[in-house]
Amino acid sequence: MKVAKFFELAKANGISECQLTVSQSKTTGFQIFHGSLEGFEISDDISIKACGVVNGKLGASSTQKVGKGCFEFLIDGILKTAKISEKEGEASIFPGSKKYHKKNVYNPELVKTPIEDKINMALSLEKEILAYDSRISEVTVIQYEEKETVSEIYNSHGLKLKDKGNYFIMYAGVAAKDGDKVKENYEISYGTSLSSYNKDEFIKNACDGVISKFGADSCNSGKYPTVLKNSVFASIANYFIHSTIAEEVQRGSSFLAGKLGTKIASTKINIAEKPLLPNIFFSYFDDEGVAKENKDIVKNGVLKTYLYNTETAKIDGVESTGNGRYAGGRLATSFSNIYIKGGKATFDEMIAPINEGVYITDIQGLGTGMNARSGDFSCQAQGFMIENGKVTKPLTLITLSGNLFKMLNEVTAFDNNEKLTLSSIICSDILIKSMSIGGK
Amino acid sequence: MISKSLALKVLNECLSTGGDYAEIYVEETTNQSVELENGKVNSSNESKTYGVGIRILNEFKSVYGYTSDTTQTSLMNLAHSLAASYSGIRKITVEKIAKKRVNNINKIDDHLIDVPVEEKIALLKECTAEAQSVDPRIVRVMASFGNSHRNWELFNAEGPVASQIVNTEERGRLYVAALAAGEDGKIETGGVAPGRSDGWHWFKELDYKAKSRRAAEVAIQNLSAGECPSGVYPVVITNGWGGVLFHEACGHPLEASATAKKQSVFSESIGKQIASKLVTAYDDGTIPNEWGSNSIDSEGVKTHKNCLIKNGICTGFMVDRLNGRRLGMEPNGTCRRESYKYAPTSRMSNTYIAAGKDDPEQIVKDTKLGIYVNNFGGGSVNPMTGEFNFSASEAYIIRDGKICEPVRGCTLIGSGSEVLMNIDRVGNDVDLGQGNCGASSGMVPVNVGQPTLRISAITVGGRGGKLE
Repeated sequence: MKVAKFFELAKANGISECQLTVSQSKTTGFQIFHGSLEGFEISDDISIKACGVVNGKLGASSTQKVGKGCFEFLIDGILKTAKISEKEGEASIFPGSKKYHKKNVYNPELVKTPIEDKINMALSLEKEILAYDSRISEVTVIQYEEKETVSEIYNSHGLKLKDKGNYFIMYAGVAAKDGDKVKENYEISYGTSLSSYNKDEFIKNACDGVISKFGADSCNSGKYPTVLKNSVFASIANYFIHSTIAEEVQRGSSFLAGKLGTKIASTKINIAEKPLLPNIFFSYFDDEGVAKENKDIVKNGVLKTYLYNTETAKIDGVESTGNGRYAGGRLATSFSNIYIKGGKATFDEMIAPINEGVYITDIQGLGTGMNARSGDFSCQAQGFMIENGKVTKPLTLITLSGNLFKMLNEVTAFDNNEKLTLSSIICSDILIKSMSIGGK
Repeated sequence: MISKSLALKVLNECLSTGGDYAEIYVEETTNQSVELENGKVNSSNESKTYGVGIRILNEFKSVYGYTSDTTQTSLMNLAHSLAASYSGIRKITVEKIAKKRVNNINKIDDHLIDVPVEEKIALLKECTAEAQSVDPRIVRVMASFGNSHRNWELFNAEGPVASQIVNTEERGRLYVAALAAGEDGKIETGGVAPGRSDGWHWFKELDYKAKSRRAAEVAIQNLSAGECPSGVYPVVITNGWGGVLFHEACGHPLEASATAKKQSVFSESIGKQIASKLVTAYDDGTIPNEWGSNSIDSEGVKTHKNCLIKNGICTGFMVDRLNGRRLGMEPNGTCRRESYKYAPTSRMSNTYIAAGKDDPEQIVKDTKLGIYVNNFGGGSVNPMTGEFNFSASEAYIIRDGKICEPVRGCTLIGSGSEVLMNIDRVGNDVDLGQGNCGASSGMVPVNVGQPTLRISAITVGGRGGKLE
């Protein structure tokens, strides 16, 4: 791509500064159903985003149609959108950071492994799941996907950045039947290297997860000491991280407005953003080209920083924290590799002191059941009772409700079961003093 | 978009290894959006989605690939790589391509793509002012308008004569969201989002001022609403968007993508009673200019009015070509996709429970103690078990046949098969509401719909204790 040509054309059209982002992705994937390869997918895709400043206002456009007329379309889009912008303040394009923590996380071995090997791996996974227990009735699907991404940023100040990464995801859906009762579960494994896929553990999680759901019932409504499985805690914690986004705070729509430097959670809570961890979420620059750094967000319960892009940083008179993200023509904020520090106890040790409690392993409907501003939430849940320090009967069709911020103040303990979830949050199982469970 | 001669070459390359159906989907979509925050243009965008998706079927197998590079070399390479997944001998040679006429059901004269952005901004400013006028506690109003103009072309072949189909889809949607702040730092929201496959006149004639005020009123009302009680109660659900419950609990499990592999609670249900006798339901992609309507589906099949449930008896599924093969059923115009990046599959379009005989007011009058749900935030379902959850964004307690105090944080949970049997009253006021539905073939615009109806008993989750 002749980037220089774009900048020339932009200048000639009165765009004082501009940035071009080129994202390319290639995927290969397949599905296994009932012992055979049922579907196969490949793709090779490109997307170009442009933004620029005209008379102090930011304009943006994007296209996938590369070739003749592409630059003209992008520039026309910038001019049109900048013209109508009524956003306060002088817009600018970030020139570049002094230092970048570049790392190569791309794993060439992943793509070198022949696709036939991966298909065989999935076929044998299906066989072994079916053989695990006589109640396992079906592997509803096994899906494998591999993705390679290249992102490049260029700006009119001369900045050039490039990042390349790849990863795989293996997903299996498992159904089990006992009499006329059908239960379902799924398991996912992902990483930059196939060596991170542990077949035995995968099968155990998938199968034990589904079998343990038999005989599930609701429990009595009430308040219980509640353990949230790491994946469940991550889903809820995601909303907390969202509340630390400076834009939400500046608009007055975050619960955390005015709370910087104050204690907002139990002293047991330590949250950091570690974008430079060399995993599938690694990245060393954000959408504006700002260098990413690891940093504390909450330290011993005290809120240390909000998450900024250059625009919101300017308003608060601080530096961008490298969390800028262009989405739908506007500059927004995002995060990656949020690390919530776990504890030292094992899961069994953590639940040992609980006489009567609830262990939540799965939730649904949080997206609509969460009031992100107030932190109030209510969602459907599944899990188990905890009785006399042990996990006992399975629970279904119960509701979990509470308040996110109150919950973080009532943390009793974490265990040591840390997991990287697909929402880019690393956390362990957590025990909350008391939460509302709706049932019978 | 691509030439006929190239399409012919690509189709034949696709079918070289024994595939029995091949298709090329070419798309060029222009998306426009403009968003105002408190009456000022906060962001706007113009973007182009562009690319080609190629699919080859071989009995029950499917291979799919897509690319934004639509040159001959790229498409031939893609077709070659996909065909390499099969190892049979050629069954079909495509000799020619015949153009198939499409009878456009969404006739539009005043295209949204031609409307000057200044006009859209002016309308959004009016919406903002209306919402702000409701109460000084409305601290933020987001108003936006988004529209898409998609030209797509499909070449597909099952024999020596391939079809070429050209179609245009145009949609627009207005969003108004109001945020209310209470004295104690409490924040609540309310919103409306009417949309349609129609021209600018429809939006101009829409009572957008009243809708904007309503968004603000709900936000204000929720500030003082008490917590929703929990337990099992009768629940009356309003018409229109209330149909999202049916969409999730019953619509998804009736998609062939779930039933064909026996992965739905309703896989074996055709001819059986799955709902109360009062329930008749349709998926109808043919309603002119509706949000979920289209003249033809992603496989070039004309859309239909498909009856799913007749007087409680399951009468049909939404069937796409691939899953139809497993089921031994003909595709019925329900195969949809978000864009060329997704292999299409059976999806809903405008799915609704048909009108019954009851006066909606009488349904409330005949309810002694229960919950009235006037709006849902959304929900999800597991098609295999039929278990669902919905969160209400506007709900009230019904006492002695009257709609009383508002409550917030209301979630309805249950299983589709149970709740359908428990519908004991169906009103005569059917209406539709707009949504975006996400599934394996991406996000597609759908209408949900129903008349006012009552579920005799359903689990309600909330934090307000027992209802008294």
